[in-house]
Parts: sequence; C-alpha cells; structure tokens
Amino acid sequence: MTTITEAPLITPKETTAPQYNRQSIDLAISGSWSRIAPFWPLKNLIAVNPLAGFEHLPFHEALVQGTAYFQQQDMPAGMQLVNRESIKWLQAFFDQGQASISMPLRTRGLLKSTLQLFRFDQRLHKNDPDKIRFLENLSHTPRAVIAESLFYLGISEADQETFLTLVLTTLPGWAAHVQYRTSWADAADEQDPHPVTKAQYLAFRLVLTCLLWPGAADLLRWHRNKSAQQSEPAILPSIIQNERNYQQQLVKQVQAVQAPVSKSQPAAQLVFCIDVRSEPFRRALETQGHYETYGFAGFFGLPVTIQNPVTDQSYASCPVLLKPASTVQELPGASVEASRKAYKNLQGFKKLYQSLKYNFTTPFSLVEIMGWASGAWMGIRTLFPKTASTLQTGIQQAIAPAYPLQPVLDSIPLPQQVAFGAGALKMMGLTQDFAPLVIFCGHGSATENNAYATALDCGACGGRHGAPNARILAAILNSENVRKELEQQDLFIPADTLFLAGEHITTTDEVLLFPDSVPPALAAPLQTLQQDLEKARKLNSLWRSREMGLPATLQNAAALTELRAKDWAEVRPEWGLAGNAAFIVAPRWLTKDINLAGRSFLHSYEWEKDRDGAALTTILTAPMVVAQWINAQYFFSTLDNTAFGAGSKVTKNITGKIGSMQGNASDLMHGLPLQSVYRSDSSPYHSLQRLTVLVHAPKTNIERIIQAQEILQRLFCNAWVHLLCYDPTDQQFYQLSQDLIFTPYKY
Amino acid sequence: MIPFLSRISTFFHVDTLSLVLFSLVVLVALSIGSFSLRYLRGDRRQASFYARLLGLVLSLFLLVSADHLLLLAAAWALSNFLLTRLMLHKQEWEAARQSSLLAGKNFVLGLAFLSLAFFLLYQLSGTSSIQAILQNPVTSKWTSLACLLLVLTAMTQSALWPFHRWLTSSLNSPTPVSAIMHAGLVNGGGFLLARFAPLFFQQAFILNLLFAAGILTALLGTLWKLMQTDIKRMLACSTMGQMGFMLAQCGLGLFPAAIAHLCWHGLFKAYLFLASGSAAREKRLPLSYPPALSRFLLATCFGIVAAVLFAWISGVQVQVADTRWFLVLPALVAGTQFTLPILQDKGRYQLPLAFFAAIVLGACYGASVHFMESLLAPLGISQPQPLNALHGVAALVLIASWLLLLFVRPDSSLGYPNWLLKLYVQMLNAGQPHPGTVTTHRNSYKF
Repeated sequence: MTTITEAPLITPKETTAPQYNRQSIDLAISGSWSRIAPFWPLKNLIAVNPLAGFEHLPFHEALVQGTAYFQQQDMPAGMQLVNRESIKWLQAFFDQGQASISMPLRTRGLLKSTLQLFRFDQRLHKNDPDKIRFLENLSHTPRAVIAESLFYLGISEADQETFLTLVLTTLPGWAAHVQYRTSWADAADEQDPHPVTKAQYLAFRLVLTCLLWPGAADLLRWHRNKSAQQSEPAILPSIIQNERNYQQQLVKQVQAVQAPVSKSQPAAQLVFCIDVRSEPFRRALETQGHYETYGFAGFFGLPVTIQNPVTDQSYASCPVLLKPASTVQELPGASVEASRKAYKNLQGFKKLYQSLKYNFTTPFSLVEIMGWASGAWMGIRTLFPKTASTLQTGIQQAIAPAYPLQPVLDSIPLPQQVAFGAGALKMMGLTQDFAPLVIFCGHGSATENNAYATALDCGACGGRHGAPNARILAAILNSENVRKELEQQDLFIPADTLFLAGEHITTTDEVLLFPDSVPPALAAPLQTLQQDLEKARKLNSLWRSREMGLPATLQNAAALTELRAKDWAEVRPEWGLAGNAAFIVAPRWLTKDINLAGRSFLHSYEWEKDRDGAALTTILTAPMVVAQWINAQYFFSTLDNTAFGAGSKVTKNITGKIGSMQGNASDLMHGLPLQSVYRSDSSPYHSLQRLTVLVHAPKTNIERIIQAQEILQRLFCNAWVHLLCYDPTDQQFYQLSQDLIFTPYKY
Repeated sequence: MIPFLSRISTFFHVDTLSLVLFSLVVLVALSIGSFSLRYLRGDRRQASFYARLLGLVLSLFLLVSADHLLLLAAAWALSNFLLTRLMLHKQEWEAARQSSLLAGKNFVLGLAFLSLAFFLLYQLSGTSSIQAILQNPVTSKWTSLACLLLVLTAMTQSALWPFHRWLTSSLNSPTPVSAIMHAGLVNGGGFLLARFAPLFFQQAFILNLLFAAGILTALLGTLWKLMQTDIKRMLACSTMGQMGFMLAQCGLGLFPAAIAHLCWHGLFKAYLFLASGSAAREKRLPLSYPPALSRFLLATCFGIVAAVLFAWISGVQVQVADTRWFLVLPALVAGTQFTLPILQDKGRYQLPLAFFAAIVLGACYGASVHFMESLLAPLGISQPQPLNALHGVAALVLIASWLLLLFVRPDSSLGYPNWLLKLYVQMLNAGQPHPGTVTTHRNSYKF
C-alpha cells in the first residue's frame, strides 16, 4: 500500500506558502517597480523617459536592457493569455467614466474587488475545482498573495525580483499607468475612489498567472535566453554620428558669435518658455523691431494650483517634480454668479444629450432625432473645418461666454509674492534695464479631436496651458506693495514699466495678450508690439508650414496653420517638440543670430550674475532634467514606436478616458503616437539623438555643481545627456567626458 | 451589341429605396473620403484604402439597384469582400488579420444563406428578376424557408445575436473604415429585408421570429454598450443594439421605419466614429439618478406630449391596435427621458422649458421619420401587423430595462448579491472581442 505513504497531491493548504520572507518579498516588489517609468493620463500628458528605470546604467547598456525587457518580438503564449484577461479587468477597473454600468466593488481596491469577481469568471478558472479552491484560499494582504503565488508558480527566492519585473514588463503600458497612479498621481487622481497599490497590481497579475499559466516559471527561461542573445544595439553608431554632426555645427555657429558692444533700451522684453517651439518664434519676433527675448520655464517659477470658481475645477500648474505651494483662483471678467449660471446652462444641454444616449431604449430614438444633424455636422466639419469651428465657438459663446480671467492674489501672502517675483526675475536674468513693456508669454496648443492634445501643451505647467501662471506673475510684479519690497532687495522696477501676460498658441503661432488696464502712454507701443507679433506669426507659420511639407507663402501660411488647428481630421496639427536636440544655457546674444531650427530649449543665463552658482544649479537640476525627459520620450517613441510609442493614431481606441489602446484591445499604449514623430509610416521626422546641453559658464563653476548633484552625475556619467561648456573666461569649448572631466572640444 | 445593352437595363431596378440608400452611402463616403485625406496622410496604405473605398461605393451601388438575383448576390459578396480587405488595413498586424478573417467567415455564412434563399426563389418563381418575384409571390412552405434564409442572412450581416461577434471584434480597422462600416454594410440586413418585404407580409411567424431576435439583440447590445470602457467597442456594441432595433422594426412589418432608422443611425454613428479622438474630453455629467418620483411622473406627461406630436407629424395612425404603436413607444420614453434633466434641475422656467424640449423632440423625431416614410411610400412596403403577446412582452422589456437603469442603484455599502456579480462578469466576458483579435503582446501590433 505504498500509495498511502506517498506524498499527497498538492492540497489547497499547501498551495499557500508556509512561510515567506517578508523582507525579501518587499525588496523584490520595490526592485521590480524601480524598472517602470510612469505614464501620465491623456488629460495631462507629461513627457517621460520610458527607460527611466534604467538610468542608473550607461546609455548603451540601458538600450540592451530595454530590448530584453520591452522590445521582444515574441512572448510565451501563456503570458499572452494572462495579458488578455489582465487587459479586460484593468480596463474595467481603471475606467474614469466611459462605462455607464461600472465594475462593481471597485471602491475596495484593485486586488480585493478582482479577487471577489474572479470567482465568477469562468474564462479564468473554467470551473476547475482546484482553481476555485486556490482562489478561495488566497490570503487577504497583497504581499501574502504575492508570496503564495510565487510559491505556487515555483519561483525561487533568488528569481523573485526578476520574475516580478517580468510580470510588469510583459504588459508595460498598464504597469506605467499604475506607476503613475501610485507615485505621481495629481491631487484629483490621488483621491480616486478606486484605490490601487504597487503590491496589489503585482498580486492581481500573479493570481491571473497562477490561474491561466501555472507553468509561468518558463518566463524566466525565456527572458534569460533573450538577454543572452543581446548584443550592442546596432543603432548606436548612427545615434552617435547624429549627435556629433549636430554638435559640430552648433559649436561652429556659436563660436562665430561676437559679444555685443553696447546695449540700448528695447521697446519691450518678452519672456518665453524654454520649449523648443519658442526659439523660432523669438527669432521671428526679434527681426520685427527692437525686442529683447528671454527663455525661462513656462510656469514662471510659480508652483501653484489654479482654481476656476466657475467650473469648480482645479489643477496643479507646475512641473510634476514640484508640489504646488499655493492655490490661486482665476475670476472671470463678468460676475461669477452669471458665469456659473451660463456654465450650468451649457452643461444642461450636454446633459440632455447624455441622458438620452446612456440608457436603455432611448438611444434608438436619439439616433432618429439627431441623425440628420449629425450627418450635416459631419459634412461641415470635414469639408469646411473653419466654418465648423466658427459655428462651434459662436454657439458656445452665445450660451456661456468665455470672459478674460484675472487671478486673485489674496491667497498668496505678500512675502511669498515677493519671493516668487524676485526668484523669477533673478532666474531669468532680468533684474535691471527694464523696458516699459515686459511680457510673460506662456504657451499652449489648440487642436480638434486630438486625443494627444495635452502632449502639445506646456510641460512645465504639468501638461496645461501656461497663461494662468503668466497672469499671476504679471499681477505680482505690477503690485505696488511687491515692488516696494523688491526695492529692499535692490531690485528696482521703474514706475512706468508694465508687466503683461500673454500666451503663445503653438499650433497657430498666435500670441494672445491679456492686458487689463494699460496706461495711455503704453497704448501705442502695445499696439506696435501686437502688430509685430502678428508679423512674427506669419513668418513662423511660413517656416512651420514648410516643415510640415505644405506649399506655403507668407500670405497663406497663417491660414494653413490655423486650418491645422481647427481640422478634426488632422493627425499632425503641429510638430510639437519633435526635433529637439539641445538645451542651451546662455544669454540670448549668444544664440540670437543663429538659426537653431526649433530644435533647442533656450534658458537665459548670465554667469556674471550668478557667482555662487545657485541659479545654474537650479537650471541644471530642474529644467534640464525636464528637457531630458522630453528628449528621451521623443527618442524612444521614434526608436520603436510599438514598444515605447503609442502606434498609429489611425487605429487607436481610447479606453477609460485615460489612455489609448490599439484596436479591439491591447496594452495601454504609453508614449507618443507615430504621427507625432514620423512624417509617414516609414520616415521619421524626429532625429535620434540624445540631448546636448551647452552651458555658457566657466567650466570650474559647472564642475563644482556636478560634484554636488547626484542626478547630474548619473545623467552625464551614463551618457544620457552630453554636456558642452563654452567657457567665457577663455572663449574655449569643452566637452564633459563620461568620467566627468572637461576636455577641450574636438571636432 | 444593342440587344445586349437593352438587356443590361433589365438587370437593374432603381427605386426610391435604391436612391435613399445610395444617397446615404455617397454622403458618408464623401465625408470619409475627405476626412481620410488628412487622417491617413503618411499611411503607407492610403492609396489602396481609396481604391477599395471607391470599389466599395460602386459595389454598393450595384447592390441597391440590382434587380437580378445573381447580380445582387454578386454585389453582396463583392462589397463584403472589399469590406474585409478594408478591415485588414495594417496587414502585418495579426489581430487585424484575425478580425478580417472573422468578419469574412461570417459573411461567407451569410452568403451561403443568401444563395440558398435565392436558389429557392428562382426555383419557385422561375424568374431571376427580383421585381417579378415580388409582384407574383408564390406561397408555399418553400417560400417560408426562403424567407427564413433571408432573415438569417440579414442577421449575419447586421450582427444580430448570435452572429454579432464579427462586429464587436472589428475595431482593429482604421477609424474611417469603422465609420463606413457602421453607416454602410452593417445595414445590409435592413436593406435586404426591405427589398424583399412583400414576401414577408404573409409570413407572420417569421416576422415574429425576426422581431424576437431583434429585440434580444437590442437589449444585449445596449447592455454591453453601457458596460464598455473603451470608446470604439462602446460604439460597436451600440450599433449592434441599433441593428437589433432596426430588424425588430422589420419584424413589425414597418420596413420604411426600419430604413429611416438605418439612415439616421448610419449618419449618427459615422460621425461618432470620426469624432472618437475626443472621447477622453467628453466629461460625463451627474444625471442624479434615481429621480424623485414626482419629477419622473411630470416628465412622463411631457413624454406623452412628445409622443402625441411625434405621432401627428410622422403620420402614424394609432387608432388601430397594430404594431405602429411600437414607433410611438420610443417617442414616449425618449420624451420622458429628455425632459427629466430639465425638471430635475431647480430652474425657474423648467415647465415651459420642458414643454419646449418635448415639442422640439417630438417634432424632430416625427419629421425625420415622416421624411423617410413619405420617400418610401410608393414602394408600399409598410404592412403593420396586429399586436400579439410577443409584442407586449417586448414593450415591457423595453420599458422595464429603461426604468431599471433609471431607478435601481445597487447600494454598494450593502454589498452586491452574488447573482448580480456573476451576471456582471458573464456580460463583461460576452462583450469581449474574439480572443484572436486582441493584441495580447504589444509588439505584435504593426503599423
């Protein structure tokens, strides 16, 4: 009777790990998540390096790892099965308002809710009593579920971290969304009523794996094979060549520039965002008259939450690396009461439509009521996009007019206002010789029917429009109390200097100015400025239209770009930040006469005014890092638009209002769509090269800063960013080597 | 040469049904053609997209104007084939290939039904002219079988349950292809039944069968639509429900109403597909369900106003208890639902506003149905049937499902009963696309 003494088959009790090492599980969890970069939802797309989890490695090694984890052309069938069911449940759980009948139990969190529902999912357990028992016997804490599942799958302790990493990287888009939700969520998403944690997500994926692919330990073997096959990426030499060519040309051009001899007062000073799209516009404007332009992060140094009392919506308008320090209300030019009422009326119309659309039986009538109108509207929008847009804004204005907004500064205490104002002026190097008009020009885009609209907005404002921050800074610096306080800090703003806010619409090159009350003396210069802005718009639209391959003339260019902004069929409304290649930290005179072709982030900086290097430290550790994120996002979306980009817009399908999938269902497609970086399916517009940073400062100053900043060491050492120094003390160019030593620049 | 040409004209029969449908196709194709000039710019297959789109429009012209059984079948096959080719826009993408294949299999099944039906009709009447067959219908059990086969063809083409999977799995197609599909070929079932409507007037049983399948699909499609979390599958499930409603109207003998539904839904859905890039921006507004009973009853009064106006304008005679009541019922429900948000809102002029809204709704609804019905009146294909128990049950189901969503909110704090959770999971699974058409490995997607 040997059968009795034999080890029994696995019983449910034994599928639970008898003991597990909490610490090692926790380490494996955090280790696996450290490989995953976040991905922001469509409402505010922030550029991010999809290989941010590999930035601790040298660039070429990160490429190899990226290929091993994310770019494999095949995947074990079992894992694909797990993915299919994961996608189904993740779509249901993370939905932010597409479904009218939502997944039940979501408020209990990802793991609890799905574990309860899995019991009813025959596609998972196929009524197999063992699997049902496995589900019923699972523990209740995510960590324990992870341990039990790893035990069930037979993953040894040494392999735990790699296995968990693979559980994430085999469905990278959704992992990136969870990374966003758990580490980077904004105030609204932090309070999402459907909670998720990193451990919950892993546990969720592992339970599905146990049910659908008990032999998942094979995943480790598959990954080892793939990793062993990796060699130096073939693309690397061409990347390096791109960079070398670009740097040579840049150095040559900069070297030829002579320092200006004398300075006269400009008609106006305009501060633009460092965004690469500002550079060609600034150049176009500077040719129109005596205008001085500056480059500064588009949130103008104000970490604020903007609150709209009409819509009751609020959002953080600052880089995602910062937490907002104050909340500022923006009031409409008309009474708040009236605006709220008008807004409610507009909502009321939408409600009528939605109440018919999202119910049983009523949609059948809805189509017969609205069919002819939809058909007509489809025809107008397609054949006459501008007419459609005029009609749309006309109707909107008739119901709920949009009034000019004014920030209310009361919520920021005076000392804080003074600190904001002084900090911004000093950082942008605008502390003396003020022109009568100083414009802070934020930016935003204008597009129709574009799921990726916010990817074209201001990254420094958290993927939003920059005008509110500009209005706040202008209001602060126009305040007499603030100016008095600034004088105590030796910052003298002439009484006849007026600060104004503006917004550069990057799709059309329009610059909207938001003047509230302009003294009579400034009315004429302001009018001239507006005319010159209009001329600059035409000039820049001409250049951009040609970049987009349109047969443009100076006369029709503005109309062409305007059409792109208003056309609901347009998949390339503008090139956004595609082409970005350099981040230049220097005074404007150094780059003013160079055509940088819209490929450079320009940050104003005068080293003589920054003896302690505080400003440069900030520039290199904040805006430069953001520029590197942007550069990496465009780089990887171009390198492999399937693994790191979102694929073609032609077949995209928006899910849960948070992101897009391809077709019926797929991974959440993080990254930029094909049309943002490619001219056509086969020809890229963006050029594959890492960010080149050029700093106009003594190399000893830069060395000192790098020594103190770990993040800079990581980026420069690992060659994620190239650093060039144009040393004003000896007029020589230096390049930083990977062991962080400046050597004379060699062509 | 001349005799041949004169014979060619006998292959065709152009009537208002042909003209209405062809106008729809041309209007949608023009919009989509212009849209795709920009939308598909840079796409490596833009040229072949246009070639196929043009082919599709021409084959649809043949389809709606054919009078010869063979010609109709051939146009039916050709247009469906071109549609599957359009669906396979990204050829290296396995999931798209599977979608196209799935649709293809479904269409082959439909073509088999259609061929059999045509064969029977030819055998029975001895003529291949559709008009001749319709003018002298032969009544026999074989005619019934032919009608049943036509119904099955319509069900495969218009994605009725259980032939719906190809449609809910068709979203690997480019957006403009989805638009033309939902405004075009998926409506084929409605056209086919309207074309052969006179055959069905004596087939009460088959009409009831069609009606039952239609209502079931309408219910399922709408339920799945309400559960979907991505925009395109939501639109596809919604189309499925709408197709169910359209064929149910055919089952009521109200073929012109079905064609009206076909056209207006086609335009509506084509627009929504093209506009699907805006889905993330459309914020759902709180509709404050369940409404207070008094508000709801008041809204019902305005629903009656809308329904009466609808009946008056659309010319639906409701003195007799026949299936035309089924046109008035949705008007009543829609009128109620439409005025409800106005009445729930504590505005000052809510009563006159609600009245005005009811008038607008009733008038627009009535006018659009009247417009189509009067266009199609010369065809004489409206044959309302006497009401029966099945119709009663269906009416109850339509009303009950609507009220359920309006009034019943499971209290999540009390927990959900297991049967409800089970139902949710079952329906979630049923609404999923065919497994092969899901891109389970990101890198298997190819643009």
